[in-house]
Amino acid sequence: MTLLGSIELKNLSFGYVKGKEIIKNINVNIDTEAITCIVGPNGSGKTTLGKLMVGILKPGSGEIYLFGENMAKMSLGQIGKKIGYLFQNPEKQFFSNTVEDEIKFILEIKGLNKEYIEEKVKSLLNLFQLNHIRTSFPLKLSQGEKQRLALAAILANEPEYLILDEPTKGLDIGLRNSLIQILKNLYDKGIGMTVMTHDYTFINQVSDRILTMYRGEIVEDKRNEY
Amino acid sequence: MNIDPRTKLIIVLCLSTLAIFIKDILFLSGILLITIMISLFFKVNILQVLREIKRLLYVLLAIAVIQSVFSTDGQVLIGLGKLTILTTVGVQKGLEFIIRIMIIISSATIITTSNSREIIQGLVQWRLPYEVAFMVSIGIRFLPILREEIKDSIVAIQLRGIEIKKTPLKKKLYIYSYLFTPILVSTIIKAQKLSMSVEMRGFRAYERRTSYMVLRMSYVDYLIIFFSFLCATTLAHLYIDQSVLTLSSLKRMSYFVYNSIRLRKFL
Repeated sequence: MTLLGSIELKNLSFGYVKGKEIIKNINVNIDTEAITCIVGPNGSGKTTLGKLMVGILKPGSGEIYLFGENMAKMSLGQIGKKIGYLFQNPEKQFFSNTVEDEIKFILEIKGLNKEYIEEKVKSLLNLFQLNHIRTSFPLKLSQGEKQRLALAAILANEPEYLILDEPTKGLDIGLRNSLIQILKNLYDKGIGMTVMTHDYTFINQVSDRILTMYRGEIVEDKRNEY
Repeated sequence: MNIDPRTKLIIVLCLSTLAIFIKDILFLSGILLITIMISLFFKVNILQVLREIKRLLYVLLAIAVIQSVFSTDGQVLIGLGKLTILTTVGVQKGLEFIIRIMIIISSATIITTSNSREIIQGLVQWRLPYEVAFMVSIGIRFLPILREEIKDSIVAIQLRGIEIKKTPLKKKLYIYSYLFTPILVSTIIKAQKLSMSVEMRGFRAYERRTSYMVLRMSYVDYLIIFFSFLCATTLAHLYIDQSVLTLSSLKRMSYFVYNSIRLRKFL
């Protein structure tokens, strides 16, 4: 039986090269209304697991159920409507010539009305403190600014769930704290998330559950108590 | 067997020159067959190459049709009133173009069986300036990176909730137009970073460079080079002969027709 409010990984294995598995027979049920952090040393398979959960990589064996639906039968577009994914390298998700256009992009494609788009862009620029660089070229921003812009662009799409790969990378303490606050607000609105991170301050402040990975396996599953 | 990268370059040079020089479908098909056989000899994953070409098939077909449209010679296959859309010569030219591209792509994969360091060394030992040889090798190395960039960008666009397959063509083209900027700019940024990085490591610090790796050609290499040139010149010669033959027989035929008409008029 699959659960509607969860991402279910069943006997999931994956390897970039045949016979060399990076993800080894993972069985886990991730509650989509909670904040789950995936931790582990470099090369333990966190990013690969995230890419599998969002459909960028196809499992070698096993299945993934997203809100009760088999992900193998879903297109990337269908997954993207439900999940917002932040790449480890946010540069990969920029398409536009200005910060403002980057947030507008998906809203214009959806054909939403101009006033709504303007309002939405304005609120996201304010939320992520990007107002002063609204006309800058996204690929020329600093790492922290790129990270915030990528998150703003994802949130413009109003996803039901977020998968964030190292969201605090390149952020100073002030920006990290404001990001934690933003994510907490989203959580309060019912948007759950899976976060791959090494940042234990972040983990201790926001996570409901911590999954520890080591060499492609989940070796610890712990509920966080604040 | 370890074949020198310069030998591979000569094979590719012969095959691609023939592909450009020859304008006959049968000859071109024969060269494609030879190219595939040579690629298999060098253990190139030819199925992967054909899969890559298959992805380009729509572009190739579009170019072939455009070529057909602009060739008004031959019998008209499709036409709108006085306007000729497709002719037999047009189709022939289109097919020639597709086979030619297949030869060039398949033969180019032969070079990829040597690593970039060997290719640079081969070119340097051919007295090509090191900077130019390095540029060539970087160019070869950048192609798969560029492909990855395009793939990543398409994935990222879809992950914004856009179902590209279900999007109407006009909107699809509009979405794809967004891809050019990030791909172009990130490639330029990567190139800038790479150039800075090599300069920082002392690239061109001295006028003369010595190299630990020195390539030496074996008898097998010389034999392969000799046969490559021999086969290429023989094929070119056969093709020229056949063309001359066809041209002279055409001339003879037209002369015969012309004389018959004159004779009929006289009678």
